[in-house]
Amino acid sequence: MKKIYCDIKKCLGCGSCEIACAVEHSRSKALYMAIKEDKLPIKRRKAQFINKSVAISTGCHHCEDAPCVAACMSAAMYKDKKTGQTMHDVDKCVGCWMCVMSCPFGALTRERQEKVIVKCDLCPDRDMPACVEACHTGALFFGVLKEFKENSCDTR
Amino acid sequence: MRYAIIGSSAAGISAVEAIRSKDKKSDITVISDEKKPLYSRCLISYLLAGTIDKDKIWIRPDDFFKKNKAEAILGVRAEKIDLKNREVYLKNKEKVKFNKLLIATGSSPKIDDVPGNDKKGVFPLRTLAHAVQIQAALDKVKSVAVLGGGLIGLRAAYALRSRGKDVSIFVRSPQILSQIIDEESAGIMQRHIEKKGIKIFTGRYAREIKGKLSVEGLALDNGSDVDCQLVVVGKGVSPNIEIAKEAGLETNWGIVVDSSLRAGSKDVFAAGDVVEGHDIALEENTINAIWPVACEQGRIAGLNMSGEDQVYDGTLAMNSIEFFGLSVISIGITKPKKAIYKEIVKKDLSNNKYKKIVLRDDVIVGAIFVNAIENIGVIGALIKNKVNVKDIKDIALENYFDYGRIIKIIKDSKDGFREKEFRETILTL
Ligand SMILES: Cc1cc2nc3c(=O)[nH]c(=O)nc-3n(C[C@H](O)[C@H](O)[C@H](O)COP(=O)(O)OP(=O)(O)OC[C@H]3O[C@@H](n4cnc5c(N)ncnc54)[C@H](O)[C@@H]3O)c2cc1C
Repeated sequence: MKKIYCDIKKCLGCGSCEIACAVEHSRSKALYMAIKEDKLPIKRRKAQFINKSVAISTGCHHCEDAPCVAACMSAAMYKDKKTGQTMHDVDKCVGCWMCVMSCPFGALTRERQEKVIVKCDLCPDRDMPACVEACHTGALFFGVLKEFKENSCDTR
Repeated sequence: MRYAIIGSSAAGISAVEAIRSKDKKSDITVISDEKKPLYSRCLISYLLAGTIDKDKIWIRPDDFFKKNKAEAILGVRAEKIDLKNREVYLKNKEKVKFNKLLIATGSSPKIDDVPGNDKKGVFPLRTLAHAVQIQAALDKVKSVAVLGGGLIGLRAAYALRSRGKDVSIFVRSPQILSQIIDEESAGIMQRHIEKKGIKIFTGRYAREIKGKLSVEGLALDNGSDVDCQLVVVGKGVSPNIEIAKEAGLETNWGIVVDSSLRAGSKDVFAAGDVVEGHDIALEENTINAIWPVACEQGRIAGLNMSGEDQVYDGTLAMNSIEFFGLSVISIGITKPKKAIYKEIVKKDLSNNKYKKIVLRDDVIVGAIFVNAIENIGVIGALIKNKVNVKDIKDIALENYFDYGRIIKIIKDSKDGFREKEFRETILTL
């Protein structure tokens, strides 16, 4: 399936992906308006540091055997049979945080007021996820694994 | 090929889906003594609390069995398994033939032997029916006593408090949630819950439930009496092993399984609360009666029934609980008793924050996070994969600790982190 991959060699940890993600998931979808919305939009992507100078941008990896799906007690988290994406039905979410407990990537974020989870949805309204488009260094890649490998990995 | 599955909750449902993902044709028969089993057991306290309404409790649509071309025998108990003739005998005298059988009978509330537990107004909380019965009994109730301070006791207390009842919890142990978290984190939770108007009495238990036909109160161990019109008993669960035991399968506390989830026979599997199996952190056999384990075991048992060869690595205790906005998550061993275990703790009690990891030879075997639960899943991955964390243990409880900080460990690990999603993140490192 098409997913978002990060080339650690290129990631600066600048956080552009985080901002683009939050804005895309805001009501207005525009930065200067988004920061004034009553509910600050929440990012689903995280720029994380491996050490002082090496970084990675992570989010939901849409795991094949997703532990969050097995853990979800309300069937809010599920696999889309066609696309293989890990989807989240916010109406079913009860905010039990079982998915937070079971995600090895720490990819799920709590919306504490509404008591629901927010997660990467691969930007259904766009061809290219907002974080990938916003990445200045080309570290983020949207596509299938094979392409990512050809693009980014040493083929020594 | 004929598959039979006894039990149609987390484990049974997951198994049906797993079998059907591989085998589109063969017959599947599901037997459940619950008439409408496709609900989430974990949500019944949410229903009782009024946090969700009834249509949210269903985790699969009504046509689930039809869509999966499974025959469902509902509201009927399986009474006996005949391993020789490969038949399940039902209470209604019918028989179900099988080539492969899954026992996913779950567990039942432990009966508290307190005198008076047969009075009207005493309930366990295990099934949707229980939640509905409690709800129906609430009208004339002012005060509720909850016996037991475990997850289900507390959830019941929270639900009934949300319904405006006067709620007291009696906990025999010196702390609440004693099977799940340590004393200090339990103290944080207890004080928080008490502030919201639920009374908690630790080190106290009911000697008797009093009343004529209906509950009128409790007589406590210290000689005092308490008024209440409803009692919820939450004293833990015991696995429903009887039919497996009678069939001659190996049982101890639960049904004993191997890493393929077979119960000592090539064609008989078990999954969920009823299973006793290897615990990754404890490194011994135990029962972890939790939803994620039931779903995962159901899936893997289903796949193996359909001819796959999947290995189940073992279970890990884990729980996530939130009351009145304060959340706690625990994984693995949280109350180590032996000196070989070391603990690292970081706390900020004025903000109700508490984090602890438990280590054995620089391998994390357990964790508790209170009110700062983000990234505990990353710790969970370290526990599952049993890697040496010497290099990161000192930062593991910092707020900035996240997946990025364990990438080097993943890269260096030879046999852990087998899932391809981990491998994909280190391709360019
Ligand atoms: C109020 C409550 C809250 C909970 N909260 C959490 C939580 O937050 N997190 C968590 O991880 N877990 C929680 N749990 C535990 C979780 O619900 C169980 O671990 C899970 O349901 C186990 O699934 P299972 O399929 O193994 O068994 P069960 O859910 O017990 O289902 C077994 C089914 O088989 C049926 N059955 C049994 N014997 C027979 C027979 N002989 N013939 C026919 N049918 C039979 C039973 O009636 C039942 O329908 C909670 C449980 C309760 C009651």
